[in-house]
Amino acid sequence: MSNTTLNETERPDDPDERTTTVGESEETIQPSWRQYHFDGDSKISVSGLDVHYGDDHALKDIGMEIPEESVTALIGPSGCGKSTFLRCLNRMNDRIRAAEIDGEVSYDGENIYGDGVNLVELRKRVGMVFQAPNPFPKSIRENVSYGPRKHGDIRTGFFDRLTGRDDREQRDRIVEESLRKAALWDEVKDRLDENALSLSGGQQQRLCIARCLAVDPDVILMDEPASALDPIATAKIEDLIEQLAEEYTVVVVTHNMQQAARISDQTAVFLTGGELVEYGDTDQIFENPNSDRVEDYITGKFG
Amino acid sequence: MSGEYASTLVTDETTLGERVASTVIGIGLLVFMLSVLAVARVVTEEASVLGVGLYDFLAGGLLAMGLGVFVVGVGSALGAFDTTPDETPGTVTAGAFGIIAAAAVWLATLQLGVLGPLGGFPVGLLAGAVTFVGLGLLSEDIGSTLPAVVVAVAVSGTVLTNLLTPAWLWDPEWLSAAFSGSMTIPTLTAAAALLTAWAGAKSYGGYGSEGRQAGAYLLVALNALGMLAVLLAVILFIVTKGIGPAFEGFSLYPFDWPFVLNGYSFRPDVVNGVFPAIVGTLYLVVGATVTGVPVAVAAAVFLTEYAEQGPFVGAVEIATNGLWSTPSVVYGLFGYAFLVPRLGGTTSLLSGILVLGFMLMPLCLITSREAIKSVPDEYRDASAALGVSQWETIKSVVVPAAMPGIVTGVILGVGRIAGETAPILLVMSGGLRDDAPNVLGSFEFTSAPPFVANDALLQSAPALPYQLYATITSGVSAENAVEYGWGTAFVLLVVVLSFYAVGIATRMYFRRRLNHE
Repeated sequence: MSNTTLNETERPDDPDERTTTVGESEETIQPSWRQYHFDGDSKISVSGLDVHYGDDHALKDIGMEIPEESVTALIGPSGCGKSTFLRCLNRMNDRIRAAEIDGEVSYDGENIYGDGVNLVELRKRVGMVFQAPNPFPKSIRENVSYGPRKHGDIRTGFFDRLTGRDDREQRDRIVEESLRKAALWDEVKDRLDENALSLSGGQQQRLCIARCLAVDPDVILMDEPASALDPIATAKIEDLIEQLAEEYTVVVVTHNMQQAARISDQTAVFLTGGELVEYGDTDQIFENPNSDRVEDYITGKFG
Repeated sequence: MSGEYASTLVTDETTLGERVASTVIGIGLLVFMLSVLAVARVVTEEASVLGVGLYDFLAGGLLAMGLGVFVVGVGSALGAFDTTPDETPGTVTAGAFGIIAAAAVWLATLQLGVLGPLGGFPVGLLAGAVTFVGLGLLSEDIGSTLPAVVVAVAVSGTVLTNLLTPAWLWDPEWLSAAFSGSMTIPTLTAAAALLTAWAGAKSYGGYGSEGRQAGAYLLVALNALGMLAVLLAVILFIVTKGIGPAFEGFSLYPFDWPFVLNGYSFRPDVVNGVFPAIVGTLYLVVGATVTGVPVAVAAAVFLTEYAEQGPFVGAVEIATNGLWSTPSVVYGLFGYAFLVPRLGGTTSLLSGILVLGFMLMPLCLITSREAIKSVPDEYRDASAALGVSQWETIKSVVVPAAMPGIVTGVILGVGRIAGETAPILLVMSGGLRDDAPNVLGSFEFTSAPPFVANDALLQSAPALPYQLYATITSGVSAENAVEYGWGTAFVLLVVVLSFYAVGIATRMYFRRRLNHE
């Protein structure tokens, strides 16, 4: 986190006309670079989002419209705030006590930072997959059915069976469906009762995706989902992300620019200091970026 | 540049030096073990080994070791063996031999009666300093073997030349203790054998870092073996003494085990048993676990998952650590002064259960907190990201993952309380009796609050550790009280070990559920 060059007292009144110094280049971020025009509806819209961790200003006045049923990639160097931004979208930052979040994030037109937001419902709709695969030390079946079971959508307990409600069939259907969507079913269908930790890293990550799909979300947030995996497992995850985009809105943070170029429909570039510098069509961002700094970053001169 | 190394990379044969050194280590271990057995009076000075008297055998073995180490040390210095000694034996080695030299010279002046008790002290210090500096000037192979050779030869020489005999006695006026030959000889041979074996191990490794590694390996491995030996000695001693009384009148068919199944009937014609005490101990331990562990685990969950690190958590931590180090007799006194008057006015099983439950709490709290802390945050994140509430997460992910650690704490705690005597003495103190406490059968409903009464809980009950203490020390006038005590000790050992076994099986069950399923 180095935002030593930008002191808050130097901050201009109009945030859209801010000047940032990185190395020797000096550039004004144009508001138009951050406007992304697309057909269809936006699933998530963010405006004026600021995040502070204590004295550290991690995200500065972010505004962004995320279209539904597409893949949005968030790229940028380490410490630029892209993961923080992602964790704002399902309020996972609430779990960090020092985090202070101002601004508005709307999901289907409703501000998720407003009053009376039901976090359980929000996180059921906006699922998340983490950087390192984190299956629970339970069986594959229990992992996938964990969300629905804990939300009471599936009841298979002793007393439920005693009172005549047995959802085991429904559970197995959800498990199969989720594992199929996560392209893992064929590999694990014969060992659903084995411990999830016996799977390989790539399989574990797909299991985590299946676990997230089992609660039937709209949006899937992925925080560098392939960075801990080998190239073959990475390719499988990338294929999977593209498939998921047909049905879900996927937002994926990645370090890997080739990956972003391959899988995403639109790309947002965050640069050091917690600023969204440019947001647009992936092709446009990678072939003809407006900002010199973004071009430097993409061509590897900086970052 | 390459090809200029002092030693070869691959040696496929054991060299002569290595063979001599390993023989030295072997003899050293034998002499050391025999010496320790002699110190413990398991082997006495009348015993003979291979036709030689015990002390002569020890001294002879020591002499052989000294010669062996001399051969490898001097051989290495003369270049006969392929070794890689450093230039000096090192400060620690030289310092240790310096201290030995100082002590030896001082003791020698005392023995010879010259210079008086304190006059020899500066002479000893001087000898130690000279040894320290002198060894520093020698190379490692000579510097770390020769002093060991001197010690080995000196000890074996004094024994073999009968300067030091079992009948020898040194009773200095200025000290209330006296040293007899039968204790001094094996103590000296044990120490000298260890020292010489260490020098042998260093030679075996060819000195240098390899040699220090070999020497350190010998010493730390001996420590581990020593731990095992102490444990085995305790268990064997109890078992050999207690197995006879405990199995008196035992028959397999028709099955009868009077010592375990009978009470204490004060009749000469039947075997008196410990059944009431076994039942009492079971009630105590199970009762204390049931009262203490849930409170401790729940408190650990609150402190780790909900409470923020702050003054409150800090205060609770200090309180638990303080409670954990509180002596058990203090708990007992608290129970005697606070619980007993409030629970029927007499010493009772219930007071015992509560006091032991209080003792169990701090350890279970500390270990449960550590176990819960070590559950990866990724699990909590994953569960929260699925919209699952914190309590559900704790219940279905955090506590199951922490379960093996929690059970470890319970095992340790139960091990501590099962043998507690001091608090039992104050709050329960049940004497020898014929019938077992019948807690489960004594519940009855009453018309007055609290509407449930249990006479057995409010009476004193016997427990194994207290009964053992009472029988052996305070002279309960029972016939053959000592045998009865050994039998009780044996049964207590078995009961505590079976608590361990249950605990370890439980932990394995939870581990397996986490890892394989």
